[in-house]
Amino acid sequence: MGNCCSDDRGGRAPIGGTPANIGLGNGNDAPNDAVHLFLRSRGYQGLFSQIQLSFSASGLRDRDVLSKSDPMLVAYTRGRDGVLKEVGRTEVVLNSLNPKWINTLNVTFQFEIVQTMLFCLYDVDTQFHQMEVKMLKLEEQQFLGEATCALSEIITKSNRSLTLDLTYGEEYTGLSRPQNCGRLAVHAEECITSKTTTEMILRCSELEHKNLFSRTDPFLVISKIVESGMSIPVCKTEVIRNDLKPTWKPVFLNIQQVGSKDSPLVIECFNFNSSGKHDLIGKLQKSLLDLEKLHSSVKGENLVLPTAAGNKVLKSQLFVDTFSESTQHTFLDYLAGGFEVNFMLAVDFTASNGNPRLPDSLHYIDPSGRPNAYQRAILEVGEVLHFYDSDKRFPAWGFGARPIDGPVSHCFNLNGSSTYCEVEGIQGIMMAYASALLNVSLAGPTLFGPVISHAAQIAGQSLANGRHRYSVLLIITDGVVTDLQETKDALVKASDLPLSILIVGVGGADFKEMEILDADKGERLESSNGRVATRDIVQFVPFRDVQSGEISVVQELLAELPTQFLTYMRRRDIKPSY
Amino acid sequence: MSDMANTHKRSLEVTVISGEDLHINDRPIKNNAFVTVTADTRSSPSSYDSTKLNAPGESYPFWNEKLQISLPAGSRHVVIEVRRWSSSGRDKLVGAAWIPVSDFLGCYTPEDYLHFLSYRLRDANGQRNGIVNISVRVVTSSSSTSVPEFGITVDREKTGRAVTGMPVWYPNQCKS
Repeated sequence: MGNCCSDDRGGRAPIGGTPANIGLGNGNDAPNDAVHLFLRSRGYQGLFSQIQLSFSASGLRDRDVLSKSDPMLVAYTRGRDGVLKEVGRTEVVLNSLNPKWINTLNVTFQFEIVQTMLFCLYDVDTQFHQMEVKMLKLEEQQFLGEATCALSEIITKSNRSLTLDLTYGEEYTGLSRPQNCGRLAVHAEECITSKTTTEMILRCSELEHKNLFSRTDPFLVISKIVESGMSIPVCKTEVIRNDLKPTWKPVFLNIQQVGSKDSPLVIECFNFNSSGKHDLIGKLQKSLLDLEKLHSSVKGENLVLPTAAGNKVLKSQLFVDTFSESTQHTFLDYLAGGFEVNFMLAVDFTASNGNPRLPDSLHYIDPSGRPNAYQRAILEVGEVLHFYDSDKRFPAWGFGARPIDGPVSHCFNLNGSSTYCEVEGIQGIMMAYASALLNVSLAGPTLFGPVISHAAQIAGQSLANGRHRYSVLLIITDGVVTDLQETKDALVKASDLPLSILIVGVGGADFKEMEILDADKGERLESSNGRVATRDIVQFVPFRDVQSGEISVVQELLAELPTQFLTYMRRRDIKPSY
Repeated sequence: MSDMANTHKRSLEVTVISGEDLHINDRPIKNNAFVTVTADTRSSPSSYDSTKLNAPGESYPFWNEKLQISLPAGSRHVVIEVRRWSSSGRDKLVGAAWIPVSDFLGCYTPEDYLHFLSYRLRDANGQRNGIVNISVRVVTSSSSTSVPEFGITVDREKTGRAVTGMPVWYPNQCKS
């Protein structure tokens, strides 16, 4: 396994063992327990399980002239209507035609529906190697091949691994037969949730020179051994330049990445080579428990080099300088520990929705009782969010309309009162919404600034009262926001508060611009006076993507909430108080 | 305004956490970057503190150092400057950020709130050059022995009106 990483700053960076990855549940890395709680409460017990997919490929085509391809994998799910939705991306492995990716993908496996997945491989151009993987534009990369399969095909195999032939796909006809472009191996494992993270500092002594004339740039790769005997890389350390007695930066491993504390792990020490073929210096097999014992005995363990004549024991030793375990509290721990989630709602009453008296308006109240787009959004989304709200009283506002005899307001109380803004329960929201429609005239423009500022004020006030409260503002809108900069300013100002903002887009507008607000898909937000958002507090979901009946609805909506919540709590070292 | 009869001195605990994507002469910075924090004020002598040099991380340096400065009433900005130390003694400015005091005083949060803030750095030519991440906590210490500071901070951007003079009667002679 010499080909898993190489070259360049991108290739020298640590993967998989950094504190940033641990337990934050950003959709790619860890299961989302907010989703599971909701689903279990609805009786979905046992109908789904969390699966982790890991990938490797072989025999890829060589697209670069002077060096080998730098492949990256992008995974999609294919919905019932054939629409592809991206689920995640691995890292870029440089200079390799037989890559073994470390970054894994988390998918929810539902027993009762067929989940078709599409895996596309791309060769990432050198100029993009410093960029974050999520920011890469796929049209600018070179397509290497694709493969498709159903999730159940992988699960049902005895060793949970499936090897697929990569093809160029239907779009690339021009050749009589799809050319073979290599093979992709997908391995699935059930995710184990664990709150324990171990932090280790590893050190090696007396590494041997491989070659008298070149330096040794050592790095470690830690892999886990699965039932079938395969080894799957879990993390790799950074590359240290020219050192025969290297001490690497702390490695953070969550038990769920490795299985259990007793699971056998293989630790290999390689000499970094910019060609991509790294030389194995030595290796050893230890579980986390063994490493803990090694640390307490303050002794080293000799590395071993497999040769044709058997295993040669080397002088070099591996030491575990520090070993500590910590518990990472999850979102549910905080809820159980007394944290309240406060749900707030803002509804778009701008004229672009159409005249509410006409049937083609998004605000049309059908006399037959069929809910309109806004009512459906409030019901579906509200149902999920209000599950977490303890007192079921929600501040609710409208924006972009003229209340009776007044100027245009960008933040008026939905219940029509001039003193308080709360409504009781989802029913309260529906009644307030219906009566507000009769009492206001739709106007414009679409401005989010005032509602966001008002929500931020409420979130800030809850801090003053010393209460443990996290606020979630749901904005339902039909169109693209008019003053993007003012919205960004309000978001940046609110980014350090216990607040998350979920924007649901209804109707058929093109919401591409709104995705800029969700830093998950782009860069950190910057306000007009130079302040940068402390954290990403926005999540944007187009409502048409949300189809009822599928668990993916709930996943889509709650995807980022636990991460945003935990980022806030952990940065301030706030722990749940039991 | 609350500053009117305020005998409290304000000081700030600024933790300079890290920097991102710092460049000097169009190349990522390798080492010797340090940060200075100053309260910008025209009247009182300004308070100043700086971090140590050898932060790990090259162009993404991680200082994680707590600095203390006093914040005289009337300051409107705290200035953060990232510089690169040079042995010849001529430190080069990598980038600066001017933080309005209103970003951590008197917005939605209680006064002793720990703010985590990030700012865009601009170099001597005004070009963007990375981001600095800090945390700020306002520490108010009451000091009954000191001469009360009088003055009402007027945020011109918000009010846009002329300042009204207010006659004040106090027993001690105030040294100006």
